[in-house]
Amino acid sequence: MKKFLVFLEQREGIVKQSSLSAWNRVQELAALDGNSVVAGILAGPVDTGQLDGAMAGDGVIYHAGEDGLGVYNQERYTRVVADTFTREACTDLFFADTVMARDMAPRLSVRIQASLLSGRTTLDGDDGVSRRVYSGSFQASFVPTRQPRMYILSSSAPVPAFPDGGRINFIDIEPQQWTVEDLFPIVRRIIMGEGPPDVAEARIVVAGGRGMGSAEGFALIEQLASLLGGAVGASRTAVDSGWRSHAEQIGQTGKTVAPALYFACGISGAVQHLAGIGSAGVVVAINSDRDAPIFDAADYGLVGDVHIVLPKLIDLVKEFLKKQ
Amino acid sequence: MNIAVCVCSVPDTASVVGYLDGAIDYSRVNMVINPFDEYALEEALRFKERVEGSVVTVFSFAPDSAKEVLRKALAMGADRAVRVSCSEDALQPSDPFLTALGLSRAISGFYGAILPDLVFCGKQSTDFQSAQVPSMLAELLGMASVSGITSLHPSGEFLRVEREIEGGIEAIDVTFPAVLSAEKGLNEPRNTSIRGVMEARKKTIDLFQVSLLEEPFVVLSGVEPLERKKICCFVPDEHELLRILSHDCNLL
Repeated sequence: MKKFLVFLEQREGIVKQSSLSAWNRVQELAALDGNSVVAGILAGPVDTGQLDGAMAGDGVIYHAGEDGLGVYNQERYTRVVADTFTREACTDLFFADTVMARDMAPRLSVRIQASLLSGRTTLDGDDGVSRRVYSGSFQASFVPTRQPRMYILSSSAPVPAFPDGGRINFIDIEPQQWTVEDLFPIVRRIIMGEGPPDVAEARIVVAGGRGMGSAEGFALIEQLASLLGGAVGASRTAVDSGWRSHAEQIGQTGKTVAPALYFACGISGAVQHLAGIGSAGVVVAINSDRDAPIFDAADYGLVGDVHIVLPKLIDLVKEFLKKQ
Repeated sequence: MNIAVCVCSVPDTASVVGYLDGAIDYSRVNMVINPFDEYALEEALRFKERVEGSVVTVFSFAPDSAKEVLRKALAMGADRAVRVSCSEDALQPSDPFLTALGLSRAISGFYGAILPDLVFCGKQSTDFQSAQVPSMLAELLGMASVSGITSLHPSGEFLRVEREIEGGIEAIDVTFPAVLSAEKGLNEPRNTSIRGVMEARKKTIDLFQVSLLEEPFVVLSGVEPLERKKICCFVPDEHELLRILSHDCNLL
């Protein structure tokens, strides 16, 4: 029998949607397996009422609700998760793919001597992981050699249909004695951006490249993204030219995105850029050069100058949304 | 202040990585310093310029053929370069744990009882993109770590760093010693001068042998080339595009 532990990430007392999706996906895996149980570990003071009906299946959630865990702290979080994992004799540990997971999971894997695999998309009971490497030129298969196992789930995989809310029991973990040494690195301040969704999490991404011509040229990209409730993305050229911030860069040295709909506007489609959109759903390319490589990576293409095409498209989208 | 920087070599983003007999073919590939490691090295060099008497030592766990990467690091301004090798021929770039273990043994062995004050790494390599080595290395060295930093400012006994999180920025204080991994945007790496390149040729690259008998945590069991090409359907105008996206694809 396996015992799966899911790390439930909270920020400012709100459990992240990506963690709830991870929980539901692991529940699906346990159901396939037939003989496995699912548990969660939640660090920080959280009103657990918010989880009523939001989580599938049955399970136990170990809740370390002390104030000292309210904000992410690498050493404290690592210890709470490692202790719970060991104490409860868990076999597999799962994370949603977040900055926090990427910061903490490698350290944890050394501490509990577990194989750590990132980018797991299929929860079909196969222990290995297959994911893209070398800018998306190859699909590589990785196999864990150790027990226990840790997985960072790919954010692009579908979340199973939500079954009826299950029975969740909460078990409180006693506050621990922390020393000053456990305090660093300490998060001093969190500055949350406002408005548009994060490019890595958005359902629709409108990205611009060299063809936008200037920082001002991105006004069209912003307009279309905001109309569609999507996020703005940028090619490396647009970022290196100082038109957009690195947080929006998509590609090998930027983010990997998996939106349902991706617009590439004035982007030629260098290999480095395509590395970041391999898991996108429908890709639309708008470019004045019919031979641009981006069209080989696109489902739909429109040949034309973005400065003429985008204003027209924006007007049509406005009309369309009005009718809805 | 002692600063260690870990670098690795990866295929140049412009080169085409081939596929031959079920394995990756590197014969037509030009290897360069991993772009994220270049940000790490640049930040270490800037630190050295601020704090007098600092020594920057670059480590690479790599075969002899990858020495050019260390040469490049010396040309950028690193004081010393160490190639880490293991006698068991256990070099497995696809297993982050063994890579981190080899680096941790080299760093502990090289510095002895007093570990470096700072270790800089790139946040991930652009080949396997695991992004695991820096935090694993920190755990093995018993240091704190912050992954993917986009800014760094020393402030007394602290280092004030920032990193991007989902939808925002996290400002973090960290004390020495620490492992910091660099994200793009941290700095603009310097170009190497002709003088730097000439001087780098005269410097020796130290060899540090480590023993690695442990099993890897993860094994690469196979690679397959991916056909990325899609068949693009060209649409005549914006009307048709909107109709397809809203009606046929039901995406809007």
